[in-house]
Amino acid sequence: MPGDVVLGYDGSEGSKAALRTAVAVAKAFDAPLTIVFGYEPNPMGGETADYKKQLERIGNGYLADALAQVTALDPTVRAEAIVAPLRPAESLLEAAVEREARVIVVGGSGERPILGAILGSVPHKLLHRSTVPVLVVPTPEE
Amino acid sequence: MTTVAADSGELGARPAGEPAGGKGLKTGALGLMSSLVIGVASTAPAYSLAASLGFVTLVVGLYAPAVMLVAFVPMLFIAAAYFYLNRADPDCGTTFTWVTRSIGPRSGWMSGWGILVTDLVVMPSLASIAGQYTFSLFGAHGVANDSSGFWVTFVGVVWIVVMTAICYIGIELSARTQVALLGAELVILTIFAVVALAKVYGGHIAHSLHPSWQWINPTKISVAELSVGMLTAVFIYWGWDTAVTVNEESKDAKRTPGVAALLSTLVLLAIYMIVSVAAQAFHGPGFLTNHSTDILNALSKDVLGSPWDKLLIIAVLTSASASTQTTILPAGRSALSMAVHKAFPPRFASIHPRHLSPGFSTLLFGAVSVVWYVGLTLLSPGVVLANSVLALGFGISFYYGMTGFACVIYYRRFLFKSVKNFVFIGLAPLLGGAMLAAMFLISIFYYSNPANSAQTGQAWFKFVHFSFRIFHWHIYVTKGVSPILVIGVGLLALGAPLMLIWRIGHADFFRRSREAAESLHGSAPPLTPGVIPVTD
Repeated sequence: MPGDVVLGYDGSEGSKAALRTAVAVAKAFDAPLTIVFGYEPNPMGGETADYKKQLERIGNGYLADALAQVTALDPTVRAEAIVAPLRPAESLLEAAVEREARVIVVGGSGERPILGAILGSVPHKLLHRSTVPVLVVPTPEE
Repeated sequence: MTTVAADSGELGARPAGEPAGGKGLKTGALGLMSSLVIGVASTAPAYSLAASLGFVTLVVGLYAPAVMLVAFVPMLFIAAAYFYLNRADPDCGTTFTWVTRSIGPRSGWMSGWGILVTDLVVMPSLASIAGQYTFSLFGAHGVANDSSGFWVTFVGVVWIVVMTAICYIGIELSARTQVALLGAELVILTIFAVVALAKVYGGHIAHSLHPSWQWINPTKISVAELSVGMLTAVFIYWGWDTAVTVNEESKDAKRTPGVAALLSTLVLLAIYMIVSVAAQAFHGPGFLTNHSTDILNALSKDVLGSPWDKLLIIAVLTSASASTQTTILPAGRSALSMAVHKAFPPRFASIHPRHLSPGFSTLLFGAVSVVWYVGLTLLSPGVVLANSVLALGFGISFYYGMTGFACVIYYRRFLFKSVKNFVFIGLAPLLGGAMLAAMFLISIFYYSNPANSAQTGQAWFKFVHFSFRIFHWHIYVTKGVSPILVIGVGLLALGAPLMLIWRIGHADFFRRSREAAESLHGSAPPLTPGVIPVTD
């Protein structure tokens, strides 16, 4: 029996839209929700210990906010948050394996396709590499 | 977004007993191979040779391979210091943090300044190499040869802007792509050297010389020439310290990076020896000094022939791209670290909420680099590369030297506990630091001599006129100061007044007391205890 709904969250508008969908999905399946913030400084640049601490702090801030949103939307959904020292796409793939996820939910980056291909879009990577279904939620129009 | 639930990873809705802070996930473990690749790619062998081989030859003639060999020694000794200091504190402030702990906050601040200045000084050489080799790649050799012309400068500026954007947005190559690029770079350099040597032995190449063991004999040249040559040559090994620094991600965080740093230096040593010997064997040293600004481009046309010479040009460009990134990223992070420890304005610690890069520091460094590059091009037309590459050694020697001394002082209580400690934590870093300090001082005297600084045909501040003598060393500045000294030493010295200005009203950082290592293997306590301020 598949387990968690895994949500990628980075504080952006797209990830907030994804959060709303993920809560609905988790509720529909009565599944736990795992919210993941992944980061990894480029190892090309050298030492990163204190830089990583800063990133972890920012990630914790985003996740605390995400958990508050989940509670506000639906207090019955069991949510858990993880700060992962991995690149965003890797962190979601890894979390999906560990939590035997039924689905990964992410926000569409809202970037144009070519720009996304150059910059490396997380949904794009997930669609190619994930072994579980991926749900990409579009960013609402302004 | 300001609410932080708890200090580290403990979030409200987490069920009791769950691991905190993502420890439930496997972290991105970097093995020895990846650390090695990052170390060597950061050192950028093809770019380093393209930028410096001509200038080392300019100073020491046929003995460039000897100088490159000897320059390896202090760098190897400093590698030991990086290895041991990194064990205690893998902070991204590196030398800044280590020197602040062991020698004191003022020296620490100056070391941090030294890192930033050195990163800045190398940027024009990266930009001008990128500009020239880009035009060479497309066969526009006329444009490429005008190294201070509008088009080369324009492409150089675009290069800095694009590379800064890459670091700001956080675009990375995958580990596999990096391995492929570096592998290609090393293979192309090796092919170049082997083909050059085969042609030297097999045919009748103009001005070619058969390699001689004397070329790697450093006793053939004077101490001053050796020092100045080494000051230029340390640049080719610069950046490999990045291999020591990939600590937390490494599978064995406390050991892998150090071993990687040592192995990567050996790889570099081999490639530098074979390429520098082959390069001067092919057309003789005169050709290298005549083409000092585009040495690999000029040689590869004759060695590899069209279109294969383009391979070497591409290798130089990919190498310069890696080198530019490993200049901008640490510069931003050093500034971040200094700001976090209250040695710099807090603005420098700000992290972009979406890209998660040290946004302000990175963009400011890019902007200052562009201004510096364009300014230097206007001030010293035609010799931007020479001034940058020759001046660079001063900054590198300064902060690597400080790292060596910091290691000895930090571990002072452990030096005499065993022979191994004494050699690797005491003697080697101390000798490395002392060698770099000697090179630094001797080179000041050398470049103060108008006859030597005339290599770049320039003098700045022409009203400056003085001379004095220390023992038998004579400083005589008569017709202005060599740009090499102004850039190499002047920018470092500029840090002292800036530090004093920052100290007004920010004395906390400067009041901290010196530390000594509590153990040989354990981590040091945080340099600045308490909450790290995050400004989004």
